Amino acid sequence: MNLQVIGCSHHQSSVATREQLAFTEQQIKPFLDNYYSKFPNSEVVLLSTCNRTEFYTAANKPNSVPGKSELIEFIAEQRGIAATDINSEIFIHQDRQAVEHLFSVASSLDSMVVGEAQILSQVKQAYKLAVETNQTAALIHRVFQSAIRVARRISNETEIHTNRVSVPSVAIGVLAKQIFERLDNKKILILGAGEMAEETLRYAIQEGGKDFTIINRSIENAKQLAMKFDGRVGDWDELEKELATADLVISATGATKAVVNSDLFDRVEEIRKQKPIFILDLAVPRDFEHSISDRLNVYLYTLDDLQKECERNRQSRQSHYPKAQKIINHEADLFFNEIQRRSSGSTIAQLKRQADNAKQLELDRLMNRLEGVSEKQKSEIEQSFNRLVNKILHPPLKSLQTESPQVSGGLLEALKKLFQLGD
Amino acid sequence: MNWLQNISITCFAASYAVVFALEISRIFFDVSFRKYVRVGFAAAGLFAHSVFLVLQGKLVLGSNGLWLGSWFGWCLATAWILAFAYIWISARQPKSVIGLFLIPLILGLIGLGVGFGTENQFNSIEAKSIWNMVHGFALLLGTAIVALGFVFGVVYVVQSRRLKHKSPQSKHFRLPSLEWLQKSSEYSLVISTFLLAIGLISGIAINWTNQTDGALSGGGTIAWSNPVIWSSGILFSWLLLVSIFSFCYQPSRQGRKVAYLVIASFLFLVLELAIVWWVGHATASSKSEVALHSKISSMSKEFHNEVGRLKI
Repeated sequence: MNLQVIGCSHHQSSVATREQLAFTEQQIKPFLDNYYSKFPNSEVVLLSTCNRTEFYTAANKPNSVPGKSELIEFIAEQRGIAATDINSEIFIHQDRQAVEHLFSVASSLDSMVVGEAQILSQVKQAYKLAVETNQTAALIHRVFQSAIRVARRISNETEIHTNRVSVPSVAIGVLAKQIFERLDNKKILILGAGEMAEETLRYAIQEGGKDFTIINRSIENAKQLAMKFDGRVGDWDELEKELATADLVISATGATKAVVNSDLFDRVEEIRKQKPIFILDLAVPRDFEHSISDRLNVYLYTLDDLQKECERNRQSRQSHYPKAQKIINHEADLFFNEIQRRSSGSTIAQLKRQADNAKQLELDRLMNRLEGVSEKQKSEIEQSFNRLVNKILHPPLKSLQTESPQVSGGLLEALKKLFQLGD
Repeated sequence: MNWLQNISITCFAASYAVVFALEISRIFFDVSFRKYVRVGFAAAGLFAHSVFLVLQGKLVLGSNGLWLGSWFGWCLATAWILAFAYIWISARQPKSVIGLFLIPLILGLIGLGVGFGTENQFNSIEAKSIWNMVHGFALLLGTAIVALGFVFGVVYVVQSRRLKHKSPQSKHFRLPSLEWLQKSSEYSLVISTFLLAIGLISGIAINWTNQTDGALSGGGTIAWSNPVIWSSGILFSWLLLVSIFSFCYQPSRQGRKVAYLVIASFLFLVLELAIVWWVGHATASSKSEVALHSKISSMSKEFHNEVGRLKI
């Protein structure tokens, strides 16, 4: 098996290069069709995410997989860019390295945020598109199915995915759940309509949030966000009233000073009657005056508090990295042993068949020459020939089975050449 | 089925102790099958506990005494309700370590029961009346629910304090959400008030009936001076006031205040039980009063007869 991966990722490529090589889902299918037109003897999978674009190519026969420069030329041509512009930022891994790389990518060990769950579904999607284009891609099947299994194993056996590491996911997925049993019956108030507010709102909706009001100085931005998530737009002048009824507040305005000070919150508290409130102040500078966090039944978390939690979770994920790496090494060994077993299996069968044919020819010739041989004698002679063939074949076959995949790979090739066996 | 007769307190107490050890181990490390072992031990303990209460506790009416008739039975029955609640909470909140707070209470009640001994506090004949049954069960359930509310309240305070101080949540020490704890505390407050009201009213009815049936002249009266009666009255009044107050005054049913109220209710209950233990049960006490009055009355008659005889 010949497998290689070439591509770019956040590790060694600039954003500009990644943008140039990024493929949308609609662009992948034509690219794969063009690839098979040019390189019909190999198989290909194209994985394109925000942080990486990778081309996995595989073939049974040596030299059937296009080389790095050949593939870069082809990709550049497809993308309408100069190969020299991207050449220096493209990596290549072959055979075992390529398999280990794919296992790491699928398990999100190679991701920008280690342990993020999205990458596995992206790998599955890339695999699905590749199979739709070429249904007989046996090598791709084998390696990608192994990668998906490895990713699941790492997810089950390590805690690399358990702790959330982004601010919005920690805020909603971890902290809000410790305060509220459910979000579908909670009133969510969003102050600001920027990226952070949107991202946090997205998580709140994922966790079941339904009733949310967006308040922003620029009513147009608030309307856009509200339209996107089917929410309600509130009036900035009614901030006190909205705060008085809210259960969860996500605040991420661009204000230069606190928008909710102690006096304002005093008035809000009078109406709230100490009803618990969870405030996520994700703005810098802060939107809520710090002293508000001292009030009874007020749980106020700032960006700093959340980032500390994220950092702790990141470290926790990193601590599981060696265990995950060990699983990848072990699975790569198993994968290549299996490949070797399958590959040597056909060679061994061929060798045995060839030896059997030679034996049978010689046996027939001998029997024709001999006269007056009884059936018992014929049987003795046949058994003797069989033993002879087995004794000759036993040492090389045993070596093939017991040696490491790297050594046995060489032996297999030697065997094929020495005995003139086909692929 | 003779083996059921051999089930002792050690059997279920040991099961609960194992559950507690498993709860503690959750703080330190993860084992995937532990939850099954934990709930399995709790269920086994509950089964043994049930068998013990039925066979050893003489639950069946018409036997020599009723299991609720002693502190021993009272404590064991309360522990049984809490153990049942533990299994229910384990199913509802499988990731939380609320058992760390609940199991010690169960073990403590079993220990307390054993410490008090099996001597009956209540008259076995009284125990067979329907009013006594209602009185006993209502107070028992009320007691257990107040104790459960206490656990919810304590856990609420711990969780709230942790969130307020922004301490990170350990993946090994998870507690239920504040909302769940608050609701559970509220329910326990309302239900226990209702049950203790039934217990108190039925207790008064028993007292009234006993006295009207007794040798006291002047019909039935309630021994309000009896510490058990007035302390029960105060406990019930407290719970009733708390419930009305919570209903009318919104801040008192918000967050940490509910937790403080249920904790205070539990402390009231402990005080009440201490008074009951100290002076003996009200009905038992009133019986002895009746007997004393009868004795005094008969002695008085004898005295009058004697005086009359001497005059003659």
